[in-house]
Amino acid sequence: MTAIGLDVANLSLVDAADAVRQGEVSAVALLEACLANLDAHEDAVNATIWVDKEGAFAAARAADTKRAAGGPIGPLHGLPLAHKDMYYQAGRLSTCGSAIRRDFVPDYSATVIERLAAAGAYAFAGLNMAEFAQNGTGHNRHHGDCRNPWNLSYITGGSSSGSGAAVASRFTFAALGSDTGGSIRLPAAANGVSGIKPTQTRVSRYGVMPLSFSADNVGPLARTARDCARIMSVIAGHDPRDPTSAEMPVPDYEAGLNGDLRGVRVGVPKTYFLDDVDAPVRAAFEASLAVLAGRGATLVPLTLPLMDAVATYASVVSRVEGATIHAEWMRQRPHDFATHINSRMFPGLAIPGTYYVEALSRRGPILKAFATEVFGQVDLLATPTIRICLPTIAATDVDDGPPGTEQLALGISINTRPFNYLGLPAISIPCGFDPNGLPIGLQISGRPFAEDAVLQAADAYQRDTDWHTRRPAIPAA
Amino acid sequence: MTEMPDDAALTVEFDVFAKRAGLDIPADRRPALFAGFKDLRRMVALMRQPRTAADEPAGTFSILSVTRGL
Repeated sequence: MTAIGLDVANLSLVDAADAVRQGEVSAVALLEACLANLDAHEDAVNATIWVDKEGAFAAARAADTKRAAGGPIGPLHGLPLAHKDMYYQAGRLSTCGSAIRRDFVPDYSATVIERLAAAGAYAFAGLNMAEFAQNGTGHNRHHGDCRNPWNLSYITGGSSSGSGAAVASRFTFAALGSDTGGSIRLPAAANGVSGIKPTQTRVSRYGVMPLSFSADNVGPLARTARDCARIMSVIAGHDPRDPTSAEMPVPDYEAGLNGDLRGVRVGVPKTYFLDDVDAPVRAAFEASLAVLAGRGATLVPLTLPLMDAVATYASVVSRVEGATIHAEWMRQRPHDFATHINSRMFPGLAIPGTYYVEALSRRGPILKAFATEVFGQVDLLATPTIRICLPTIAATDVDDGPPGTEQLALGISINTRPFNYLGLPAISIPCGFDPNGLPIGLQISGRPFAEDAVLQAADAYQRDTDWHTRRPAIPAA
Repeated sequence: MTEMPDDAALTVEFDVFAKRAGLDIPADRRPALFAGFKDLRRMVALMRQPRTAADEPAGTFSILSVTRGL
């Protein structure tokens, strides 16, 4: 049954869920459409690590049976989703993009997976990712590099590379990513989709392979800000199994999307975030500011405090914590990591404890200063997500590239990493294309727990633009 | 650790840290790991800042306490 016709995988998540609810399309039809795209383009894009078609059809048929029986159904009923391959699902593979966990099958499931299932969605694939979520480009030595569906020679961004590419390629309506330095927002920007990193502690991390205790976040990538809002309303909130998760009420994020930005003050950085920005990125960014202003927002130029310190402290914290988690594997199985992963993690073991504590101890004062000096003047902060036009996979291949390749690769995340150290919510939405036809991202951040304001601005922007509706014409591999 | 030593001194430091961390660095990975070590060492040299009242225990990171203050 497909009353809507055409390729139903091209629907946004919200439209697809509403179509299932209204009986306009079946869950099986949604799955078939996603799998048709996957079958046609996966060889080119390499967005998945495993796919469970049999289990997916069983779940889709069960969803259709349940809807036909009447009674309540969840806000994501019958939707096929796929997630970064680091979300544990009992009895299913979870490789974390690594060789070391190539055969790892957990016996318990992540809280966010359970919450999505309770809302009616099911997972049918594990998505490609940077090895142990440790690069911002999407390179992967063990499972193959994920390729950008807009141009297969270019990076997808990472570490949630497959999440961005799969959503853009219409393999799935949405995907969970994780974000320690930009790993949701970078692939969202690079693939022309929407992705939000929530406030630190807003979403449970139980059952998710960690990278950095202090900076890891769980969040969705999807076609639109409204899609992200619906998923956030499902997955956010305190989890007794993750004591670090905040005991804050969760609003209905979708209900707050009204397109009205009158009275909203949007900060525009005069420093740091616009340093050395490529001209096409700057042009797209400035055009996006005009759209926000057109919706009623007031633009406020800002000088930001302490940004260089933030960048340094953020790197120290994440590297030490990552090295701690992987120390034993580094000792026992150094050759099972890609060289560039090894070279990033090893130095973390060489940082004295006092320096790590120094970086952590500065975090509170810096957040307070940032909150006072920035969010005392504005409600939101707008920046480009990535400062440069997307580079190619070859140009950022750290293991095989010339000197300087590492700096280019690390520079991808220079505008996203500060928000992990500060713990603030930030979304990336598509705002244009560069001369090579690759997407450009607009990043909007806000006060702690102001996901509603961030999503509202992003949704308002998408009411007046169509970047988020565009679909890549994926060439053959 | 606040000043950047020359390469010879850094090599010694690198080997000491590797030994202390229990790492047996494969020969084929050594150049890449040493480059990563140098980069981080350069960054860490920038870290030390004067401590102020904001660095007392009351200033410890808590996103909830900051939220209450806004």
